[in-house]
Amino acid sequence: MNPQIRAIADLDRVIHEPGRLMLVALLFAVERSDFLYLQHETGMNKGTLSSHLSRLEEAGYVEVEKTYRGKVPQTLLGLTAAGRKAFEQYRRMLKGALP
Amino acid sequence: MDQIEDLLNRPKAYYNIDGVGELAMGFMCLSVGLLMWLQAHAPKGSVWHGMPAFIIYWGLMCLILHYGPQAIKKRITYPRTGFVQYRARDSRWRPAILGAVAAAGGTVGLAIALRRHWNMTTPASLFGLLLAATYAYHLARTVRWKWAVAGVVALGSLVIAVLPADLVGAPANHSWMGALMLTFVLYGAVLSVSGGISFWLYLRHTQAPAQEAQ
Repeated sequence: MNPQIRAIADLDRVIHEPGRLMLVALLFAVERSDFLYLQHETGMNKGTLSSHLSRLEEAGYVEVEKTYRGKVPQTLLGLTAAGRKAFEQYRRMLKGALP
Repeated sequence: MDQIEDLLNRPKAYYNIDGVGELAMGFMCLSVGLLMWLQAHAPKGSVWHGMPAFIIYWGLMCLILHYGPQAIKKRITYPRTGFVQYRARDSRWRPAILGAVAAAGGTVGLAIALRRHWNMTTPASLFGLLLAATYAYHLARTVRWKWAVAGVVALGSLVIAVLPADLVGAPANHSWMGALMLTFVLYGAVLSVSGGISFWLYLRHTQAPAQEAQ
């Protein structure tokens, strides 16, 4: 098989989905952020965002911390070490796959 | 890949989404300009020529620069568009090292210029052009109307460069500080206005969501 085609076939499918790719890229650039920030930046509704974050959490790429800002519940999210490594590898493979 | 790079840069751009970064820079420039004006106009022996006043002034300015933006972010920005905690290496070390190198370079340059009795107009204008280029690279790329701000800063720097030295030095009692003072006041005013407009637009176009889980 052509190595470029194989690189595409081997891309991490958890990250490759466009919505999750946006989330992982945004979280990669920060230590952590809250749910509201991700919603604001991606334009996703709460349900879609929650679903993508759950998938990323299941894969061990995102860690979730429930806390309070004053009396308002706040969900803080950050990439795990495995998530950072997976995203770096994804970028490398994507660069290799693209001409 | 370009889209991914854009996404990676979005959190950095988010810091100034409310214009607070520019307001802080504007405040700093105006404060430095005010200190220079006070030192140029205060009589000899005044407290403004003494080290204690200088240290207290800078200390207060640094406190306001540190806690002011934090307070605005905490009370206005985070409840409206979300909280971001930047990575420690991005937010602390790199700016600190760059700031230290720039300050050291500036101090050495200033010392050399004064020792040789150079006119300060040219270095001040070059500094202004550098600031305009940095501003364009970091801010104007993401918000289109800020190209006008970068243009005003660059144009202002060129005007300071071509004005007669007597005219430039007049606000500071014809001392070498005139060009620098004018430069700081110009940048301070422009950045404050630009930051103020950004802040107003931010308040106008955003609102905190209902008080529920975020």
